[in-house]
Amino acid sequence: MKSRLPLPPPSALLPSFRGALHDRRTAAAIGRLLGVAMLVCMVTGVLSHYLQHPPSWLANDLPARPTWGYRLNQGLHVGVGIAAIPLLFGKLWTVYPKLFVWPALKGVRHALERLSVAVLVAGAVFELLTGLLNTVQWYPWPFSFVPVHFAVGWLLTGALLLHLAVKWPDIKAYWWQRSAATRALPQEPENAPDRRSLLTGLAVAVGAVTVTTVGQSFTPLKDVDLLAPRHPDHGPLGLPVNRTAAAAGTTRVDTAAWRLTVAGPRPYELTLDELAALPQYEVELPIACVEGWSKNAHWTGVRIKDLTERAGAPGAALRVVSLEQHGAYRVMDMGRTYARDPLTLLALRLNGQVLTPDHGYPARIIAPNRPGVLQTKWVTRLEVR
Amino acid sequence: MAGRYAVGALGLALMGLGASLVWAQSPWDVAVWLVGAIVLHDGLIAPLVLLVGLGGALTRPGVRGPLRAALVTAGCLTAIALPDILRPGPKNNATVLPLDYVRNWLVLLGVVGFGAVLVLAVRRVQAARRRRGL
Ligand code: HEM
Repeated sequence: MKSRLPLPPPSALLPSFRGALHDRRTAAAIGRLLGVAMLVCMVTGVLSHYLQHPPSWLANDLPARPTWGYRLNQGLHVGVGIAAIPLLFGKLWTVYPKLFVWPALKGVRHALERLSVAVLVAGAVFELLTGLLNTVQWYPWPFSFVPVHFAVGWLLTGALLLHLAVKWPDIKAYWWQRSAATRALPQEPENAPDRRSLLTGLAVAVGAVTVTTVGQSFTPLKDVDLLAPRHPDHGPLGLPVNRTAAAAGTTRVDTAAWRLTVAGPRPYELTLDELAALPQYEVELPIACVEGWSKNAHWTGVRIKDLTERAGAPGAALRVVSLEQHGAYRVMDMGRTYARDPLTLLALRLNGQVLTPDHGYPARIIAPNRPGVLQTKWVTRLEVR
Repeated sequence: MAGRYAVGALGLALMGLGASLVWAQSPWDVAVWLVGAIVLHDGLIAPLVLLVGLGGALTRPGVRGPLRAALVTAGCLTAIALPDILRPGPKNNATVLPLDYVRNWLVLLGVVGFGAVLVLAVRRVQAARRRRGL
């Protein structure tokens, strides 16, 4: 008779978890915060997308108020995204043992459920990782960031909704302190101290990553901005820069030769001196970068509304052309709501000083409630549309 | 019940939209990065955390709580500091990544460690007082 080696079943080779924290109640508690964070990121992300690339039927009706709208939107997107990083780690930690369930696939339904969770996990890690790396302008992947981050955002949001529908019974059972399943737990369950310390640790971690980065857009906290890729105090004339004059090829603009050309029903040209002789206005408006940093500044210049009025088309929508030769934002379209706004300027001065080359000398756009990439620098031409 | 199915169906529809948008870009590269995200977490980060957790489990329950909170916080701070520190290549301009991130990261780890020690010390004093019936 052949003696058979007692082979262990495959499940015995997989890690097993006795740790007290991999329970459904903790998963639901962290999950609902993470879910809210992901939805905030998706909503602010989609708003940012349409503020940058409005469909033509919307382009003339985008709101120019509140002036800090885009600043808040993008600050929230990046701030809540960073705060979600500890939550995602915490959530994945509580559900990690599920990766090793045995049998791995119990049937079609189970297979689909696991597939949707895989999409959810992959999408969440992917969005947080690509978003974070984009803020430090690091692009180690072979695809272009914006459209792919946008696409995976939809994939992730879909997987999240599907997940909520599938897990609804568990979510409902553990939602409240007084929910049925929560009350069925022992009064002071054995894992209570461990569970509390995990949740406290996550709360402290969320606070820590937020406080050390949010100062890049929430300037009152700039002194503890230790880990953000930007700092409000670092930049010429007290304002950070993204595209430099060197990159744009506009370091030495010949002031004597420069003209502002305004094309419209009554076209005209202005020298820099003539422009500076027109009525000047001072406004306080933020530069709010799509990458999440932002800062308020004082701008002085000529109202766009006055310039279009002089061209015989008061408050008309505009196409703005920069001196730069290449670059995705050389030509910028400005809808009517911004073009007729009294706060929208062709600015010549920043914080009381003449613009530096990196800030768009000799003239740049500043408008309320718009992403920084659309605050066109080194302007040379305005076309009434 | 109907609501549950509606949410699930909406989720499937949005997943379809997302997949078609990915398809219009570079689907294989994105797929590699999506699968890579799972492998990075489940294959590398999670086992590392488990190992650290095993070490922590050897400590006394009173020490374990603050230790766990400190490690979670330090780990997350490290995760967001790494891109600042490791980003290769020349920077776009001097206002991008203008700080000394290695120094700031080490300072923050020090603060977290100090905070944990402080919590443990306070607890110890409180426990001693309780024992003396104060
Ligand atoms: C749940 C996670 C996230 C979702 C669903 C999400 C979704 C989105 C969406 C839909 C956009 C608009 C893309 C477009 O304009 O076409 C966007 C843009 C952006 N996201 Fe996220 N995001 C997430 C996490 C993050 C994180 C964690 C960060 C950074 C820390 C981040 C940084 C950015 C940046 C910088 C942009 C602007 C890109 C640009 O226009 O240049 N995102 N996001």
